[in-house]
Order: sequence, then structure tokens, then C-alpha cells
Amino acid sequence: MRVICVLMLAGMAGEATIPGSLPCQSMAADTSSSSVLTARDSALHVLNRLAYGPRPGEVERMAKAGVQDWIRTQLASDRPDDRALARAEPRYAILDMNPRELAARYVEEQRERKREKERKETEEQPRMEGPPSEGRRLAGELQQLAVIRGSAADFQLREVMVDFWTNHFNVNLQKGLDRALVPAYIEHTIRPNSLGRFEDLLIATAKSPAMLFYLDNAESVAPGAEPPSRRRWGRFPSPERKNQPKGINENYARELLELHTLGVDGGYTQQDVINVARILTGWGIARANQIGGFEFHDWAHDEGEKVVLGVRFPAGHGMDEGVRLLKLLANHPATMHHVSWKLCARLVSDEPPDGCVDEAVAAWERSHGEIRQVLLAIVQSPEFWAPVARRSKIKTPLEFTLSAMRAIGAEPDTTPRVAQAIARLGQPLYLQASPAGYPESQEEWVNSGALLQRMNLAVALAGGSMPGTTVDLDRLTPVTPDYGRLLDAIDQALFAGTMSSRTREAIATELKDEADPERGRALAVGLALGSPEFQRQ
Amino acid sequence: MEITRRVFLRAGGLALCSFGLDPLFLNRAAYARRAPITGRSGQPILICLFQRGAVDGLNMIVPHGDALYYRERPRIAVPRQEVVDLNGYFGLHPSLGPLKPWWDNGSLGVTHAVGSPDGSRSHFDAQDYMETGTPGRKSTPDGWLNRYCSHQREHDETPFRSVAFGPELPRILSGSAPSLAIADLHAFGIRAGSRPASDKIARAFEAMYEGAQTGLLATSAQEGFEAVRMLKSVDPTRYSPENGADYPRSPLGRTLLQIAQLIKADLGLEIAFADVGGWDTHVNQGAGDGQLANRLRDLSQALVALATDLGDRMADVVVLTMSEFGRTVRENGSAGTDHGHATAMLVLGGPVRGGKVLGRWPGLDPANRFEGRDLAVTTDFRDLFGEILARHLGGTGLSGVFPDHELSPARFPGVIKS
Repeated sequence: MRVICVLMLAGMAGEATIPGSLPCQSMAADTSSSSVLTARDSALHVLNRLAYGPRPGEVERMAKAGVQDWIRTQLASDRPDDRALARAEPRYAILDMNPRELAARYVEEQRERKREKERKETEEQPRMEGPPSEGRRLAGELQQLAVIRGSAADFQLREVMVDFWTNHFNVNLQKGLDRALVPAYIEHTIRPNSLGRFEDLLIATAKSPAMLFYLDNAESVAPGAEPPSRRRWGRFPSPERKNQPKGINENYARELLELHTLGVDGGYTQQDVINVARILTGWGIARANQIGGFEFHDWAHDEGEKVVLGVRFPAGHGMDEGVRLLKLLANHPATMHHVSWKLCARLVSDEPPDGCVDEAVAAWERSHGEIRQVLLAIVQSPEFWAPVARRSKIKTPLEFTLSAMRAIGAEPDTTPRVAQAIARLGQPLYLQASPAGYPESQEEWVNSGALLQRMNLAVALAGGSMPGTTVDLDRLTPVTPDYGRLLDAIDQALFAGTMSSRTREAIATELKDEADPERGRALAVGLALGSPEFQRQ
Repeated sequence: MEITRRVFLRAGGLALCSFGLDPLFLNRAAYARRAPITGRSGQPILICLFQRGAVDGLNMIVPHGDALYYRERPRIAVPRQEVVDLNGYFGLHPSLGPLKPWWDNGSLGVTHAVGSPDGSRSHFDAQDYMETGTPGRKSTPDGWLNRYCSHQREHDETPFRSVAFGPELPRILSGSAPSLAIADLHAFGIRAGSRPASDKIARAFEAMYEGAQTGLLATSAQEGFEAVRMLKSVDPTRYSPENGADYPRSPLGRTLLQIAQLIKADLGLEIAFADVGGWDTHVNQGAGDGQLANRLRDLSQALVALATDLGDRMADVVVLTMSEFGRTVRENGSAGTDHGHATAMLVLGGPVRGGKVLGRWPGLDPANRFEGRDLAVTTDFRDLFGEILARHLGGTGLSGVFPDHELSPARFPGVIKS
């Protein structure tokens, strides 16, 4: 306890912008003996939760400089200037293409596929896998970009939060037009707002064509409303959209309340869902220029009065009704609690204790939903540092893969191979069908098949045979015939000295008959990455 | 023991119902055809094949007795003389002809006009609804086959209880109950170059996880290694189909061959799932020949091979085909069909009450069509799936499997012998 108090005090000295009390008093009440947190322990814990794990040497550096320094830097700006990221991220064409250009490519591809299909229609056997299609290639770029960013960024907490919000406001690359819309969604809706105000983020997602399309709000019109001219979706082939929408579609309204804001127990009724949908009629996608940006369609808007959660929305205020509604939802107590709970489930434990959730809610209230202040409150809560929280969470496939790569200094290349490996572990990026996003709980990620795959990935990665990665184990530890020293080095680098004796013995047993120290090193690192403790964070 | 909120939410609905309030619970005797057998051989097995892309049920099980069918499909209707007649009104597409003997011996049945109560014509949404078992609700986190496994605990917990063939676990099997996704039986396990190297690494991992203070990790890893050992003992590389079964060399053929292997290995398989694609026939779908005919031929050849290979074991097996929706009654401008509503689903196996086209037939009359254009749904897919879970697998307490939908034997289409 003493250690952590000193650490935090040192880090906070003179830090006026960080509100809230220091956790020392409440931590002092915790008398469990195993809870002494060394500087290295806390560095590892912070890097596991607020980053995608430590890179070689990072635990030592952070332990020396103090974790609070690191946290403060990570939260200094809502749009940090990340030079490491700028150097590492390839200028994929997909980043410079607007949705219209992307859509045009897909259209061309679909035509080509149709021609192909007609040519092959009389063949006996179904067509085997050909070269990757344009759509698959671009999807691969987008997924791999997430891998590269997560593994290379200096501002790791932003990448973690981008992943969190992408998941909270889930959309799916596979649903029709979203193939063309998701890239801009990530770049312009999620990334710039991931450390800002929740309200801004919520409104940005509500206006994003990707979300408007994914949850069908673009389809939702007041009953009987007709567009001024019967403009079509243009050249984009979309057989599902041939019919003009005929009335309201509650889909987005429901998920907005249940998933994005209030939560399933947030105290709203079916009538609230309907009225939210009515308020948001007209929030659509500009059709005039095909797949344009957000556009409010007066003609589609329901002009009656609406009441949501007991609040009256007088008739005739058009788009302003929706903005007012989203602000109301963003700052509703149920939303603060629901979203804070989810943040704590990600950062503290699968079933977070009330303490950290309450701290987060209080910070939300004080700061009117400044995400950085909420994060800070969570990280400063005793629950975040509690011994029971450490190593309590199982890494998701994304977290496991990125942390394994970072731990040994492996670099991803620009092919989508690593993203594909993560998909095989059960987490294909941007392809979660449910708007609820990927789950956070360990039950959902741990099963025998996936675990064997993780072990295979660990061994392949360390052995330099995982496609799409380059590895230089010298960055982790030099080759040595002294396997005792090798294991010490691996233990320090990967686990800050907390490797279990069982894991250590199991590796040592297999090393005994390994005469080639270079192969021995790869074997030991692979086994350590596949060990139970490395599945945890 | 602390009951977490999440667990309570997830399990609560079921728990409350099962304490006697659930009519299903009270009626379980009426439901279960037989008590679930937890031994190896003799245990009921369900194989689900998802025809992704929406199969044209009207050209698969052809209402050749209806003149409207021919009027609506001048270019793609299957000519009457080519249809393999079943009962004077319906017939099999000629590509499904090889399955006729199973119809005749009563082990192939059809449910027609089956589908979702939700009207979505989006592949994405409709597949999602069919896999989660909650039409119209998108936020359901898990699939109905997985919920079945997690609620039905009486079954032997072997690692091979539910297996999806493919690189990733499909939505229908995702959730809290352990399920395996296997792309290839032969490659399942620890792969590290040579066999000795793999064994060495597997041994080390097994030792590490054996006593790990990590409940879920330890159990899952042990299950995984047990599965690897079980598979090794049956050596999937040396398998030759029996009774002269000839699997087509298509992805479906390979998958069904591996399923047969798993079944014969007696590893406790209860549920197998596989995708079969290529049904989205918007353009030139063909009639007796052509695109759809080729896909159906692959399907029937693979099913015939499976049934032949399994021989007597088919007494324990039910194969169910499903598809997210059907296709338009009327052919479109490109001699194909667009997204529709109801479709037909096949059920094959010893326990099947075959030789019948089940479900109420709504007819093709435009007045009786869904939204004036598509075959109407008269059997909710959950009633068909629910019947198979209850009467074939012996499932009880199924209200948690299909929340928001009360299963009642009165609505079961009657595909399983009782």
C-alpha cells in the first residue's frame, strides 16, 4: 500500500487539472497482505488495461518515471499528436477515399462478379476461392489498420478507447452499404471523439451514414411521407432497398436507448422507443449525391408532438428535436451509469464493483461527460488498483494478439494476415453482427478451440512463422545457453516477475533437451505467450 | 456464492420459469420423445445446414400442381415432366431426385411455407434473426443452438458436443456454452511443424494449464487437450466411407464426410453445424438445369452420401436445412428471383416423420401472399426448430432457448415421430 500511495502522490503533485481525492485513504483500509503493489506491478497493470500491453523495456521505464506521468500524458489532449503512429500507419488508399468512391468500386466489383457468375452458371462444381475481391481487400486494409494502430501507437489509451467506442457503437462491414461507410465512420466519427465529450460522440454516431444505415434509421419516415421527387439510390445495387420506406423503423431508436445510452434497465417504455423513432424521422443520408453524408429530410419528419421519458418535444422543431433528445439522453443519469459501468467492465473487471462506477458517474456529472475525466476517475479509484482486479480479466483475441506482438517487439506488416489471425480466434474486426458489439466477459472468449488457437498463435509468433509479422527476439532478450537466465528475462519482460512456478517448470522441462539456444529461446517465449498468465490482464 | 447481475439476467428468465411456472416444464412428459441418452452410440444428433443467401423454396420443393406457379415463372419453373413427384401436388426438384428413396422409406420430410415472423428482406438481418432465434430483436447476444446447450445440462459435456465446421464460430453457436469451430478435423490441435515438436509443445501447455489457478482457462484447456487426444485415437486421416458412399468433392461434401467421421468416432457429438452457400439466385437461376440445379445437386449428393455412409446410425440423426427467407413467387426481369419471405426446409433422418410435406400451405394466390408478392409464412421457424430440440434431442425447458416465443406442441409442424 505504501508504495502505491507514494507513487500516486509523486505523480499528482502539482497536478491541478486532475480532480478527485487520492485513493490512498481508501486503499489503506485494504489489509490483504498480498496486495503490495510494486512500481513494476502497477506499471504492468496500467499497460495491460490502458494500453495493449507493454513493449520490451516499457515496464521498467514506466516504473521509473511513474505511472501517473504516463496516464497524464495519455489524457493530456483529446486529439493527441501521435508521431509513432504517423510513422507506422500506412497511407492506405482507403483512408483517402470518400464513401462515394468506395461505393463506386464495389459497384464495379459487383458487376464483374455478376458477369463472372453468368459465365460460370453452368459449371458443375461451385466456384473455389479466387483471389481476394476488391471488397475483401479493402475490408482487410481497414482491419489491418486497427492492428497496426493498436500495436504501434504511443497514445495507447486513445487506441483502446477507439476500440471501446467502435464496439459500443457497433456497425458491421458486411451489411450492404456499410462496406463503403465504415471506413469514414472510424476515421471521422469515432477517432476524433473517442476522448472528447460523450454527447458529441453520441451525436456524431447518430448523424453518421454508417449508423443510419446499419440500424435502418435512414429508412425511417413519418407514415405516409413521400420524398419530393422519387430519387433512387442511384447506381449502387441494393435489392433490399427497392421499396420506398413506408413508415417509422424503430430499430435505431431501440438500440439507441438500450445499448448506446440508457441501458436495458434504463426505465424507458415501448412508447418511448416509438417516440424516439418519430423524433429521428428525417435523419438520413444525402441521396442526391448518392452515398453522401448526413442529411436531414424535412419531408420525412414526423410533425406531431412527442413525449420521451416524460419530456415534451413540441411539434414542428424538425431536426432540433433530435439534437435536443440526444443531449437529453447523453446526460441522463441512467446513461451515465450504464456507460460508466461498461467502461469499468473494460478497465477494471468483468463485473465491476460499485465504487469505481460511482466515481466515474460523479466525474461524468462534474465534467458534463468529458470522457477523459471519467477515465481518470476510474483509474484513480481504489477498485482499479485492488489486488482482486489485477489479472482478473481475460484478454479478448484482439488484446491477446496485440499484447503478444508488443511484448516481443513483433511488427505487423500491411497485409491483413494478423487481422485474419484475430478473426480465427473469434473476433473478426468490424464484423460483429449484433449491435451490442463484442462481449467483455471471459465466458464469451474462453473455449477449448479458441484456446488451442491462441497457443498455436503464440508458438508461431515467437518462432517467426506467423504470417504477416516480423519478429526479432533480440529486442526481448539475447540468446543464451543459460536457460535459467533466459526464463528470468522472459518472466521480467512479460510478467514483471510474476510468472507462476508451474509455467516456469513446464517451460524448463521442455528446454532440457533443446540443445540449440536460439530454438530454445523461441520455444520458451512461445510457451510463455501461450501460458495461462499471458491470457490474463 | 455470489450471483452476478449478468448471470442472473442471463439465467434468470429460465430459472423463474423452470420452478413450475413454465407450461413447458409441466408438459415435459408430453414433449420429450425419450429421455436424453447420455451414452455414446444411440445418442440423438442434430446436423444443421444453413443455406446462406436464401434458397428458392418454390423451386426446391415445387408446387407443380398449381398452375399459378407456371404462370408466374415462365422461364424458370421446373417443367412438370421433370419434377420428381411426391404427392401429386408437390415434387422434388430433379436435382434432389437421388433423395427420393429416403422420402419413400419415410425418413425425408419437408416443411413448406416456413420462415420468420419478421418481414425483413435483408440477408444480414434475417440470418441474424434465424441464428439468434429472436426475430426482430437485434441485440440478442447469443445463438439459439448455444442457448440450447447451456440450458440443457443433462447431456455429457464432451468437447465435441457442439461443433461448427468452418474457421469461425457462427452466431447460431456463439454464447456461453463451449462450442468448437473446426475448419478441418485433420488440423485440429497444436500445430508446430513436425509431429514430435507439436507433441512436445502440447505437453508443456497441458502441464501449465493443468493446475492453473484459473478456473475457466484450466477447464477449457483441459477440454481442448482431451479433444485432441480423442481425435488422435480415432485418427481422422484414415477414414474411408462405408457402404460405398460417394461424397461430392465440394466444400459441403467434405464437411459432411467429416461430420460422419465425428459421429462414428462416438465422441459425444450432439449438434453439428455447417454453412452451404450459393443460393442468392437473382440472375439466370435456371429451371430443371442451371445454377440452382447445380447447387441442389451438390446438396442431394452430399446428403445421400452421408445417409449411405452412416447406414444404421441414421436412426439417431436428424439433418435440418434452413435458410433466412425464400424468394419471390414471380420471376424477375433477369430470369431469377428476388428476396421473398417463406421457404421450404428439409428434415432427413431415422427419427423423421417423413414422406410428408408438412406445414399449412398458404397457396400462391396473390391475395394470400405476404405483402402481395411472396409466399406467406405459416410455420414460424422457431416451432420447427423447437420441435426438433424437444422431440429429437429430448430438450426440456426450452423457453430460454426461444425467449418471447412460447413453444406449444400444437404448433409443431410434426416432423419428428412421436
